[in-house]
Amino acid sequence: MKHVFFLDGQEIPFIPGQNVLEAAIAAGKNQQIPYFCFHPALGSLGACRQCAVKMYAHDSKHPPRITMACLLPASDGLQLVTLEDDVHTEHREIIELLMTNHPLDCPVCDEGGQCHLQDMTVQTGHSVRHYSGPKRTYRNQDLGPLVYQEMNRCITCYRCVRFYQDAAQGEDFGVFGSRNRVSFGRLEDGPLESPFSGNLVEVCPTGVFTDKVFRHDYVRVWDLQQGPSVCPHCAVGCNTTPGARLGTLRRIRNRIRPEINGHFLCDRGRYAFPYVTANSRPLQPRLMGETTRQDAVLRQLASRLEEGRSGFLGSPREDLQSNLGLFALADCLHAPFAAVTSSWAEALAQQCLALPQAPSLQEVAAADRIVVIGDLDSIAPMAGFAVRQALRQGARLTVLASSRTELAQKGDYRPLRPSALRDQVAQLADDPCLQGGRFPVLLATAETLGPSGLYALRKTLEKLPANARAGAFVNRPNLFGAAYFAADGHTERLQQALRQRKINHLLCLGADPLGEDWGAGTWRTLAPGLDGLTLLDMVDSETARSAEALIPVAAFPERAGLFVNYEGRIQAFSPVYRREALVLHSAVQGSGFPEAAGGLKHPIGPPPPLFWLGRLAEMLHLHEAWQKRLDFYLHFLCPERPDPEGPGVLLPDTIRARFEIAAVPATRTVTPEQWELDIFRWYGGETLADTADELHSLAPARGLRVHPDVQAVAATLHGPCGDLQLPVIACAEMVQGVIAIDQEGFAELGLYPGDPVEVSWEQRQ
Amino acid sequence: MRVWRNISELGAGLWTTLRQLGRTSTVSYPEEPLNLPPRWRGRPVLTRDPDGDERCVACQLCSAVCPTRCIELQAGERPDTRRYPLTFRINFSRCIYCGLCEEACPTLAIQLLDEFAFSKEHHADFIYEKEALLIDGTGKHPHYNFYRHSGVALQDKDKGEGINEKTPVNVRSNLP
Repeated sequence: MKHVFFLDGQEIPFIPGQNVLEAAIAAGKNQQIPYFCFHPALGSLGACRQCAVKMYAHDSKHPPRITMACLLPASDGLQLVTLEDDVHTEHREIIELLMTNHPLDCPVCDEGGQCHLQDMTVQTGHSVRHYSGPKRTYRNQDLGPLVYQEMNRCITCYRCVRFYQDAAQGEDFGVFGSRNRVSFGRLEDGPLESPFSGNLVEVCPTGVFTDKVFRHDYVRVWDLQQGPSVCPHCAVGCNTTPGARLGTLRRIRNRIRPEINGHFLCDRGRYAFPYVTANSRPLQPRLMGETTRQDAVLRQLASRLEEGRSGFLGSPREDLQSNLGLFALADCLHAPFAAVTSSWAEALAQQCLALPQAPSLQEVAAADRIVVIGDLDSIAPMAGFAVRQALRQGARLTVLASSRTELAQKGDYRPLRPSALRDQVAQLADDPCLQGGRFPVLLATAETLGPSGLYALRKTLEKLPANARAGAFVNRPNLFGAAYFAADGHTERLQQALRQRKINHLLCLGADPLGEDWGAGTWRTLAPGLDGLTLLDMVDSETARSAEALIPVAAFPERAGLFVNYEGRIQAFSPVYRREALVLHSAVQGSGFPEAAGGLKHPIGPPPPLFWLGRLAEMLHLHEAWQKRLDFYLHFLCPERPDPEGPGVLLPDTIRARFEIAAVPATRTVTPEQWELDIFRWYGGETLADTADELHSLAPARGLRVHPDVQAVAATLHGPCGDLQLPVIACAEMVQGVIAIDQEGFAELGLYPGDPVEVSWEQRQ
Repeated sequence: MRVWRNISELGAGLWTTLRQLGRTSTVSYPEEPLNLPPRWRGRPVLTRDPDGDERCVACQLCSAVCPTRCIELQAGERPDTRRYPLTFRINFSRCIYCGLCEEACPTLAIQLLDEFAFSKEHHADFIYEKEALLIDGTGKHPHYNFYRHSGVALQDKDKGEGINEKTPVNVRSNLP
């Protein structure tokens, strides 16, 4: 049965449980009802008194009355009116009241052009301020490098504090003061601690919280080129809207995708984009360290490939087509190809792929029994956000980790060493933490759990009720796409070929085998056997610096592509802008009448990887075969191309099933006396994100995190590929006997999370 | 009668002509300067506020309203968060001197003053950069200073020191 109520005589359909304002906005009738404090994801509050409607009672006994649309549950046949004078007066007077102390800031306010307050003021027709007295002012707080506060502009809608405290469950932001001195901020100056603080910018309906990174390179939103894109910083694949102007990327905003990120985005997704504009980003092809022309580097590379002694290395950091393009080229040349840099990472990818259909974040938010394994917030913050939404609904959360993370403080925390995680996961099926639930969900950070742990997770899932779901997260956007065509043992075969001198050249795409990728220690020992290494990448890395030839590629917002997220959802992103240079004098030679304001724009950006691979295939006279293979693989993985504006396409289960037969991963035994390694990450840490200065300024110090029982200032770790000396950071949250280091550290040692390690402590002097 | 009327009308016309004898309304421009009306719309310039600082706050309303898209600018930020145009470019071979930018400008920075005839050899020379646009004066509005009215704090103006502002509230007070 269709439910409708009437707004100014027009039928508005609604779903039972919705309020009048929600239904009116969904029906596109928000022009009639102005509002402030209501937010689709944060709900109603009734604080601003702006969304007044006049309700006519069903019977004739009660007179019509004015009420707030956001607090009025929609019911069948409800008669509501906004076109009467008293409703208009209410709207106009409330907005005048809210605007009493609003400063004359619009020309210098970053919210201008996307300001809800501006829109509503214009909509209600309030144009002249009757109040001429002095205005209230506030002192601003310094909220760190990401969010800029200008407290004078506040209209006390409480959206910020409802987001920060209720939705994101952050603890360092709140409301202070009384009567008309109410202020929103931290207790004292300092960076906001929540990994979701950037959402304050979008949630705030006026300019109190604005984007501090965008502020330094500001343009009005009406001048931005925007388009649908997908976040490349972790496996969740949140939908984003990058905004660019004059050939540079200026900001990232959330794009609403109910299945994944809803209305919000984490700070890594929002503030990691400056990798695109970083000074260190390679933009010109480099050959032996010298800048050169496109064709020179291509000729060199083609002659290398013609020798027939090349290996190919793809990357979970690159998109699906580029990886398939590289794989197709390797296939045409009968050369070895690997998608990940170590056998451990390969086993990890296979176990991730073998998991049955993972829950979408929307489903996670609806779960009532949740087990989180590892530090989920630092790998995939939006998954942690979905867990918080489930907690608000009363879900029971259990966290298995080697340190007491922020999420662990919100649920039952079981401190466990990484090696104990696997056994614990294997026994979860009978554990009380999952009993009695309607919809249990298990979320793991793949690296902490390791291949054998993920295998145990899959076995546990088989014992749980059929509706139980599990998801594994990594901080690479396309692990699930890159590894599909990589055969069993592909990394080992590639490394073996290098050891046996069958190959002497490596063509890498977006990988960093000599820097911080998994297994980099092994690659470093193999590097002397390499005659040359060619890298296609968009960031500067250890590998880029030592590569024989470096080929720059377009960044993700500059090209089209596909990412496969943790649930096997193939999502397309489209090019948003082109890098361009201003050519003032081309106006003279051109049509005689200059284009746009300041002359012509000349595109200068590097082309996408597929362009380079296509040109390479042409030079090797393989183009037709290459194109045919590429099309075939692409058609196999996604028969229907997803629409960038749409929700994406899920991988068919038949393709997933390929990995269920993957070999059972070997398990390591660790004795209780041995020190164990775990990975330490923070929410903003990721290869691309590390070049974003503002976000990176919040990064915690590099070091070796252990329980404060250890009285040492520094320590040297001994691994099979080298030693690593790091300062000791005492961390009360850590489990005893566990050492947490970053991924670079693992790469240097040649070890993996959960491995035992030899340590020599340096005592205090 | 008809003859008399024709002669009188002829005479009236002749008188109108004769009346203009001795008057000169033609100006031998460019030798002689023109007396332009006060609302004349000549070439747009960027003016300074009474304190001598540039008025433009790079709000981009002029470039938004411009019907020929001849204005292009990029905002910059000083250490004290004061906004200014990092680059400001007007392409005068597109400009139609409609004055909409002047109407849109909330800080009275862009003003159409009296320069109206200028010629160049190349179209590219008509692209005026900020240095060529910014003048050392207040233009038609000698007293207005946007930042005195705005609520933001600057190096020489703290919160509450603007026009019509109260001193900043003490959010930690719980007095009624």
